[in-house]
Amino acid sequence: MPEPLPSPAEELATEEAREGLPVDAGTREIAAVVAVPGVTAARRRKKPFGIGAWFALGWLVFVIGIALLAPILPLKDPINWSDPALKLQGPQWGHLLGLDQGGHDMLSLLVWGARPSLVIGFGSIAIGFVVGGTFGLIAGYFRGFIGELLGGLFDIMLAIPAVILALAIVAATSASVTENTGSHITNVTIALAIVSVPILGRITRASALSWSDREFVLAARAQGASHFRILWREILPNVLPAMFSIAVLGIAVAIVAEGALAILGAGVNAASTPSWGNIIVGGQSSLSDAGYIVIEASIAIFLTVLSLNHLGDALRARFDVQEARI
Amino acid sequence: MRTFVTKLLRFIVVIIAVTFFSFSLIKLVPGDPVNYIIPFGSGAIKAQLRHDLHLDDPFFVQYWHWLRNFFTGDMGRYYGTSFGGGVSVSNQLWKALPFSLVLIFYAQVLALAIAIPLGVVTAYRAGTKFDGASNAIAFGFLALPSYVLAFFLAIWVAVKWGWLPVSAAGKEISPVTDWQYMILPTISLAAAQVAVYMRLLRSDVVATLREDFITTAQAKGIPNRRILFRHALRPSSLTLLTVAGLNVGALIGGAVVVEVIFELPGMGYALFQAIGAKQYVAMQSYIAVIAIVYVVINFVVDILYSVLDPRIRHARAAA
Repeated sequence: MPEPLPSPAEELATEEAREGLPVDAGTREIAAVVAVPGVTAARRRKKPFGIGAWFALGWLVFVIGIALLAPILPLKDPINWSDPALKLQGPQWGHLLGLDQGGHDMLSLLVWGARPSLVIGFGSIAIGFVVGGTFGLIAGYFRGFIGELLGGLFDIMLAIPAVILALAIVAATSASVTENTGSHITNVTIALAIVSVPILGRITRASALSWSDREFVLAARAQGASHFRILWREILPNVLPAMFSIAVLGIAVAIVAEGALAILGAGVNAASTPSWGNIIVGGQSSLSDAGYIVIEASIAIFLTVLSLNHLGDALRARFDVQEARI
Repeated sequence: MRTFVTKLLRFIVVIIAVTFFSFSLIKLVPGDPVNYIIPFGSGAIKAQLRHDLHLDDPFFVQYWHWLRNFFTGDMGRYYGTSFGGGVSVSNQLWKALPFSLVLIFYAQVLALAIAIPLGVVTAYRAGTKFDGASNAIAFGFLALPSYVLAFFLAIWVAVKWGWLPVSAAGKEISPVTDWQYMILPTISLAAAQVAVYMRLLRSDVVATLREDFITTAQAKGIPNRRILFRHALRPSSLTLLTVAGLNVGALIGGAVVVEVIFELPGMGYALFQAIGAKQYVAMQSYIAVIAIVYVVINFVVDILYSVLDPRIRHARAAA
């Protein structure tokens, strides 16, 4: 068997010693009092942002940067420029990442393709964050009928597998899908926002439930603070860390889902708006002679998702958001 | 018993809600759905179809008709002449559903078969290089969408090396006897689940190994292997069961995409084709069936959970 593992108290003590804090019963007690259920565990696991997190942040800044700067970067036009003679030609001088099945420059496709992928990823989660967060706060704070009703609504929305729900909404709402020209970014974003509402709503509700029992909430209420003020000033700031860490993971899921929808024929229109997802779909037919098309777009998705997952995990470890409470 | 009734009631409410959602999808279609189903039909044919689909009736009457037909197995037909015109939706469904269920079952078994030993061993060797490497690889797999892995496998294993078929397009294949078609889809689906289960099991077992009963078992001289796989694994089985149940949702989503990539005749591919061909009647039923399968699986897991762990029954009963 392994060496006997240190008990939680011992670990906390060594952790504090490492952080240069005085190790005594007092700090431990303060930690326990300040903490919500589970914060002592967070103290124990709290890690400084490691080198991985900086790499993750660096990649995200880079991707967001090139997506924003795409119009002024010295790139060929991803749609209007094409050289049919060079189609499916691999990486070469002048076309560092090769050319796709239509003779378009892969580098500029990937840079421009970052835009819809990121807009969908961040946009859908931003909407889900506000809507799900609002309903979740209300459900967690006002228990009883409203809380049960909203909680039940989240459960029902979660009863349909996420990809299927998004696919159904996009397929039904986008008139252009029915004309086989792909859908608009807005449709995809809203569909994924709807999918993210119950996920963010549930974590917010669970977190708000545990916070609204705390003494400072009672104190605020005793002082005659309004419900709105209690929610906004007392509960929301405490619930935000949990929401943020789940939201960061959600952005990764939404970016993956954009690709999945493209494969399922409900993604954004490849002819007018290249996205990482529809670049993959375009390259699908030339897997044998130009596999690099799919590989390059896949790597872009993979690195972005890896970075977001890493940051999300780091945040979650810091704020001790437990899966069990979600 | 009372909790069972509550759960059953909740289950029925959720089933009604998801079927209602699946049905109302046709209402989200911009414009008249009949125009998408038969764009070139004459006015009389369109009116007839509108009547057949009960589109003239009030919304809830339409839903009631649809629901009654759905549960009696009459899911309508594919409309038009171009794509599978006249084929009964439920016939298609009975061919496609078992296929997808078998695929998901394979992926689940493969994922657990790899994740359980790996999770236990990494927990036992917590903090070693092996543990670190396994965790890093698992983290990488978590970020790897199943479709990306599917394409990579298709490029190398199927196209470059020619070991396995790339697609099953147009073939009537059985998920059991035509196993060579199932290998790559199963691996693509299972990879991310391995990472999920392994990480979960590792943190669970690390906690269990600190418990007194493990020390007692050691003191009794029970071999390590037996302690790990008999004593330490047992308390984690319920967690694994729950997560395996919840993960079926992710697997269904993944299976849809993987089936489309490898052109396998499952629910996902059927849904994909139905959407592409504007077969809204078929789409409603497929989405309803997929949602119901997921709800039923989670209901069964929930019931199993309280049967397996009496503490949950008692805790709930006391509350």
